[in-house]
Amino acid sequence: MDEQNTDLIQGTLDMLILKSLDLEPMHGFGIARRIEQVSRGVFKVNPGSLLTAFQRLERMGWLDSEWRQTENARKAKFYRLTQTGRKQLGVETANWNRRASAIARLLKAEG
Amino acid sequence: MSLWRQLSRGLRTLTNRNAADQAIDDEIEHFLEESAAAFTAKGLPPEEARRAARLELGASLSAREEVRAYGWENRVDNLWADLRYAGRTLTGNPGFTAVSILTLALGIGASTAIFSVVDAVLLRSLPYPEPQQIVRIWEQAPNGHRINLADGNFDDFLRQNHTFAALAAYNERPASVSGGSEPARVKWSEVSSGFFGTFGVKPLRGRVFSPDESRTQGTPAVIVSFPFWQRYFGGADDLAPLHLKIEGKDYAVAGVMPEGFDYPAGNALWTPVELQSQSQSRSAHNWRGIGRIRAGVTLVQARQDLSVIARRIRAEYGKKVDLQDAAVLPLGKALVGDVQTALLTLLGAVGLLLLVACANVAGLLVARGAARRKELALRVALGAGRGRLLQQFLVESLALSLAGGTLGVLLAAWAVRLLPAILPANLPRQQGIVMNTGVLLFALAATFAVGAALGALAAWRAGRGNVQQALASGSRAYTGTGASQRLRGVVVTGEIAATLVILIAAGLLGRSFLRLVSTSPGFHAGNLITMQFSVPIETEQNGALGPDAVARQARLLERVSARLQALPGVESVGVSGAMPVAEGDNLAEGGFLILNGRKPPADFEEFQRMGQNSGQTGHALYAVAGEEYFRAMGIPLVRGRMFAAQDQADAQHVAVISEALARQRWPGQDPLGQVLEFGNMDGNLKPLTVVGLVGDVRARGLDAPPGPVVYVNYRQRGMNLNSTPTLLLRTAAPVKEVVQQARAIVQEMAPDVPLKFSTFEEQMSGWLADRRFLLLLVGLFAAAALSLAAIGIYGVVAFSVARRTQEIGIRVAMGARRGDILRLVVGEGARLAMLGAAIGIAASLLITRLLTTLLFGISSTDPVTFAGVALLLGLVAVLASYLPARRAMRLDPNSALRYE
Repeated sequence: MDEQNTDLIQGTLDMLILKSLDLEPMHGFGIARRIEQVSRGVFKVNPGSLLTAFQRLERMGWLDSEWRQTENARKAKFYRLTQTGRKQLGVETANWNRRASAIARLLKAEG
Repeated sequence: MSLWRQLSRGLRTLTNRNAADQAIDDEIEHFLEESAAAFTAKGLPPEEARRAARLELGASLSAREEVRAYGWENRVDNLWADLRYAGRTLTGNPGFTAVSILTLALGIGASTAIFSVVDAVLLRSLPYPEPQQIVRIWEQAPNGHRINLADGNFDDFLRQNHTFAALAAYNERPASVSGGSEPARVKWSEVSSGFFGTFGVKPLRGRVFSPDESRTQGTPAVIVSFPFWQRYFGGADDLAPLHLKIEGKDYAVAGVMPEGFDYPAGNALWTPVELQSQSQSRSAHNWRGIGRIRAGVTLVQARQDLSVIARRIRAEYGKKVDLQDAAVLPLGKALVGDVQTALLTLLGAVGLLLLVACANVAGLLVARGAARRKELALRVALGAGRGRLLQQFLVESLALSLAGGTLGVLLAAWAVRLLPAILPANLPRQQGIVMNTGVLLFALAATFAVGAALGALAAWRAGRGNVQQALASGSRAYTGTGASQRLRGVVVTGEIAATLVILIAAGLLGRSFLRLVSTSPGFHAGNLITMQFSVPIETEQNGALGPDAVARQARLLERVSARLQALPGVESVGVSGAMPVAEGDNLAEGGFLILNGRKPPADFEEFQRMGQNSGQTGHALYAVAGEEYFRAMGIPLVRGRMFAAQDQADAQHVAVISEALARQRWPGQDPLGQVLEFGNMDGNLKPLTVVGLVGDVRARGLDAPPGPVVYVNYRQRGMNLNSTPTLLLRTAAPVKEVVQQARAIVQEMAPDVPLKFSTFEEQMSGWLADRRFLLLLVGLFAAAALSLAAIGIYGVVAFSVARRTQEIGIRVAMGARRGDILRLVVGEGARLAMLGAAIGIAASLLITRLLTTLLFGISSTDPVTFAGVALLLGLVAVLASYLPARRAMRLDPNSALRYE
């Protein structure tokens, strides 16, 4: 059961990260906070999986990273979407929407 | 793109691990700071905020590990770590490591060496173009036996077939040759014109025969083998001036075959022969047949083609032919013949040995696995997955097996160089035995299979343990659990069973060998010097010996014998056309007519007609000999007389026969005075009168029952091309002296005649050599397997004693006597041995049946061998258990109880 949950989160986690970076480059903690805030606390991301996900997405070529100064003069690793990352976000969003509406229909039919 | 990124990232991480780690640490640190800052903003004091942040991140260590563990480069990293770890543990246990590596080296080395033989002899294709198209061809007799081709029948096969690109007949025989650097006795083949075309091999120098070569006038041509050219002509480039005298006839050297061309095996000279000019006989089976099947034609089609021709021949000639059908076999298979069983026996023995070696190392690994349970449990507790553990074990056992395999290949390379010295001379294609890519691949495959199997076994064992229990138990865990001890018991039982199979095979072969050697051959082989005295044999056009040639031959033999007889120490000098046993399958034999007053046949046709009355025919070996032959060989005269001075060429021709023939052909009658006509083998149609009866001789080999023999007098019947004229010297003087003097005498009397000295025992030992070789090898394997099994039993019992130290201490404290302890400990080894032996005997009963063709005078389930071997193994088991038992008996109960 644990594993299944992780899978679900992992599937959506990539999409959530990509979505968070759609507007502007951000560092790790920023992304975590954005996901938490926007989902109104529904998704609280485990920092370990988040950092691993960055590694993965970078390898897929969807994210780029660079070390930059933050507004409070600290060095932080900033991530931004690449061209292929943006395409991937489109694909994943479409997939998600298709699945979500299918599930919604199923639930409605049952009710 | 993505793959490239994966690779470059991974490589960067690998080459600069520290920087990569630093980046991850920095990122985590930054994450922590931001998180703490967020908590502070919510109103927590800085200290608390930082703690909360750390809590949220989880143990930063494990987060870091998670991030670090991502990517393929980490697998490489792990593997490297495992390798270093394996290296440390293996060098940390030098005893275990050395024993394991040596054991595996022995197993892998022995199987690789034997495989190199199997590869060269059985597996590799012949070194000719499209070798699968080359076949041997026979006539098939009504009893299903394959027999050589008769002239006329070969001619029909050659002219009427539709499926052969080339078809040739040849025969092989020893020949005396001079004209090279020294006179020699070599193998000579007469071949028909399609011979070289069948193999598709061109001469290295010069030319092959033209189709009508043998009909042309002048000096006939000879083609020589590469080794002969090297040895007797020093590899001379210009062939034009090279001439040879073969059996007294002149030949001009026309060509040299390339080095790899070796057919028939060991042949030195090929001369052309025209079958049409020989007899048109349809029942004198003089020719061996070979052919090359046309491309695209199958073996079955080729055989059917010849079968049709064979049926036509039978329909046309009826009882004048004895062929029933044609037989066709791929040349490779035909060459290998009966050594296949022996070789596969060896491969089986060596495979079992490898299995025993593996079992031994597996036993050691299981024992060590038990000792390492705590370490493994700790790693599992720290989050190492099954996969990681399996990898660790595989890396370790592969390191072991690779070290063993490397050493094994070195051993095999050394053995392969020694093999030619010990392999039996009649093993075909043995010059091809080398360590080639195929053999190395075999060694590599064996090494990996062994490593993977051992690793999997060890990992499976380790994965079964209960982590908590292993961590909680104290030093007890160090000596292993009951379960691992049971597993070792199973492994050792299997080892003993496999060992028993090898031991029984060795025992059966050994007993057969002893029986063979102790079988009375009907003669005394000791103190007999043989001198192959290869007088030129002057045949006439039809291959027969004229009366003048016989007389010349007899005079020379007589003069030489007389001189040799005068040598000090020489008791008798016998003349023989072929030596029993030593020449085995090459001895001449044939059918004869019983005349007894009937008129002898005038020609061959009539001989055949008369031969159809089975009441008046017989079959026997045909041996040319002198009167002293029987005395020199120690063959007793039973009745009548031996050859004598009055039996000259122009007197009545006489024969001496063996008891077996008398029993078979004239039971209850007097064989003396019977009159025979022995074919026309030597072109001499004079009848033979039986004047003597001598004892039986196992002429075909010690393992064959004595058969009927007709001995004829060398003064009346000469030695034809199929004989090896031999003088036998029975002497009490040292062999070396006699040989020296004899050589000097003969060289003075007949300087052109090649001589070959030997002792009869040596010649016979050549016959025994292949059996001795097989016995030696299987014996070695058996010894190796037995010592491995002993080590295995010792290991299990010693381990069990160590594990039960406390228990034994209690027993002693409770008053158990030394005898009880001995029984307890030795009983454990004996139980393993008995169970293993029972399984081994059951397996042997099934397996040894395959050995039947190699056994002599003994059944493949010989109870004496089975019982003896089981007893031997039992003794070894008891001995192997006795050493640890002695230690157990000496235990001081006090210290044993404090052992924990």
